[in-house]
Amino acid sequence: MYFGFNDEQLGIRDAARDFFANECPTPVLRQIIEQPSGYSEGMWRKMAEIGLQGLPFPEEYGGQGLGFVELALVLEEMGRAAVPSPYFATVVLAGSAIMAGGTDDQKARYLPGIANGELKATLAFIEDDINYTPSGVQLKAERNGDGWTLTGRKQFVPFAHAADLIIVPARTGEAEEAITLFVVEQGSAGLSMEALTELDLTNRDYRLTFDGVRVAGDRVLGAVDRGWPALEVALRHAAVGACAEMLGAARRCLEMSVEYAKVREQFNQPIGLFQAIKHMAAEMLVDVENAHAATYYAAWAQGATEEEAKMGAAVAKATVSEGCRTVANKSLQLHGGIGFTWDHDLHFFMKRIYHNGPKYGDPDAWRAQALEQALASAEAMAVA
Amino acid sequence: MDLNYTPEDLAYRAKVRAWFEANTPKHELKTWEERLAWHRKLYEAGFVGMGWPKAYGGQEARPMEQAIVAEEMARVDAPGPVNGLGIGFIGPTLIHHGTEAQKQRYIKKILTAEEIWCQLYSEPNAGSDLASLRTSAVRDGDHFIVNGQKVWTSSGLRAHLGILLARTDNTVRKHEGISYFILDMKSPGVEVRPLRQITGGAEFAEVFMTNVKVPAENLIGELNKGWHLAQTTLGYERGGNILARVTSFKARFYRLVEVCHTLKRNGRPAIEDPLVRSKLARIWTETENLRYTGLRILSKLERGEKLGPESSVDKLNYTEMHVRHEELIMEILGMYGQVDKGLPPELKLKEDAEAHTAGTWTYDYLYAKASTIYAGSSQIQKNIIGERVLGLPREVRADRQAIAAAAAQKKQG
Repeated sequence: MYFGFNDEQLGIRDAARDFFANECPTPVLRQIIEQPSGYSEGMWRKMAEIGLQGLPFPEEYGGQGLGFVELALVLEEMGRAAVPSPYFATVVLAGSAIMAGGTDDQKARYLPGIANGELKATLAFIEDDINYTPSGVQLKAERNGDGWTLTGRKQFVPFAHAADLIIVPARTGEAEEAITLFVVEQGSAGLSMEALTELDLTNRDYRLTFDGVRVAGDRVLGAVDRGWPALEVALRHAAVGACAEMLGAARRCLEMSVEYAKVREQFNQPIGLFQAIKHMAAEMLVDVENAHAATYYAAWAQGATEEEAKMGAAVAKATVSEGCRTVANKSLQLHGGIGFTWDHDLHFFMKRIYHNGPKYGDPDAWRAQALEQALASAEAMAVA
Repeated sequence: MDLNYTPEDLAYRAKVRAWFEANTPKHELKTWEERLAWHRKLYEAGFVGMGWPKAYGGQEARPMEQAIVAEEMARVDAPGPVNGLGIGFIGPTLIHHGTEAQKQRYIKKILTAEEIWCQLYSEPNAGSDLASLRTSAVRDGDHFIVNGQKVWTSSGLRAHLGILLARTDNTVRKHEGISYFILDMKSPGVEVRPLRQITGGAEFAEVFMTNVKVPAENLIGELNKGWHLAQTTLGYERGGNILARVTSFKARFYRLVEVCHTLKRNGRPAIEDPLVRSKLARIWTETENLRYTGLRILSKLERGEKLGPESSVDKLNYTEMHVRHEELIMEILGMYGQVDKGLPPELKLKEDAEAHTAGTWTYDYLYAKASTIYAGSSQIQKNIIGERVLGLPREVRADRQAIAAAAAQKKQG
């Protein structure tokens, strides 16, 4: 048993940290979020050059063949720099869905393009009723000759405008899990998108309307009516990935707060001398350390048994979302007025945490799921 | 990163589980003699002093093996060994700092519990500021004469021996004038009185020392260096509690779930109430998160890394969490949570627990509150984390200012 990182993993983390410190310092971040696209094509290409997009995919599909722990290390660094990028949408959301649900041919068709930076993708999961269970998928797909016609609406689809491919779960039958995943191309007739301006400007979410969008039969990812298991895996990965980003952003909030407490003077002394401030910083560290343990346990668990993968993701999303939000809030309180200004950088990291908290399942929903699982295993224990 | 147990660890766990399933007493140990007999059984099976050097009767077990044993004990709710302070840190302190004669005389009987030890540290006016202690030890020929009062002495009523911090020089700054002694609790002038806690029980004692003669050979380490000895944590038994507390928190959680099937809310079983479920879900996820932090610490210990001041993060975390969870349990149980005697068996935490003892909801609720006070209060832990982990500036404190002023005056004069 070893709950730590090996030299290769630490190398990946350090390389990612240096890369984003150079490519996405906050003055650059401010420029990027002013652009309509909300990301930098140049940075995207450079990320592909150092192999970030292919990191979790097998080498036979042009990837690096690394695991979820390595991916989480990169995501933590992206959270630390609040990088605005379609990376999460492409690699974590769409990439996980393709890996979990696609046939070998489909993996060979899509993953090399993602890995080399040519393709961007996203996953359109949520609908008007924000519900991450199978009943949340109501968008209809009807057979139409050899293909299908999609009708309905999706919400909060990240970087949909940038995506070449949009993976769309749709209802193809009455049974609860009769869900099929479709690969829809950008610019398909009948597909329209509306940008949502949210609190966190380092993300771009869209509302998608499917008004009779026609999809060819070979664009069904995996098998008809068999999309839910892959979607569940993608959702779990998204939850854990979101935790890694929040952890990085929370570490940044804590570091900025500690630095500020050392230099900011009031009443003729650094404010870090006051216990009111010192204790707040200590509480922030406790939350950050808990978030670290939960995030990396969950990241490791994604490659372990399904039971551990489920429990790990649920516990992490519930505890990390809340813990990091508390860190964000305390960091603002610690900074005082200066932290409330747009010109100070703190709000970018706070808002990344606020954004990820409810996304991919809010803490209450994940906690409820963890409880269900715990009660079921308690019953199983009692029977055995 | 690999959180799987090795095949060796799994095999060891299976062996340990089988032993505890076969040997754990089926009923609560009521008398001290029963507890001692159980301790000896644990000792003979090699489960006491597992981390101690073999030369002193230990097993030199890895932190993981200690954790597995502690976890398996918590799993079947096996009673623990006695003499926890002796095994946990007094023995290791003697092994490192004791004279050969002290080692020969004391160490083996710590493990066998033939001699029970207590810790004479806190005083009525020296709690968080332990170094301001006033109990004095004055040299008188081949003895020291000890006068003073100690408080919060656990096992004080049973202890044969105590490890004592006393002031041996009051002309120097407070940390520099403290020495470390072995006190025979049967010495004339030692009076031990039970200290009743808010739980109703009395696991602690107050110890009054009046002109107590302590032989000079009972000094541990150098004169006036006692503070530094007391500050170095020398435990060998480091893997033990980290996961065991998670296991016992989980055992309590599962019992709470059972109780929630009987307990009614608005005419229906509490377990069906969404507000109750929300609280249960919070207890479960935070306890599981504590398991992950425990695995991380255990893995550091396995690699021989020292924890240092970040163990304050752990202590602050699990004690504050425990207190929050006890609050949630009380919210779920309502008035039933306050019944110490007369609670229907189906609502009890443990069926055969008596009033005012561990194993009742009331006792655990109240006792959890001690955990954020003892062994460095939460506020002291936050100071340590702020200053020694995060590197925030050290407090300007009245005692440090007085020392600085005295030093400046000395320089001038």
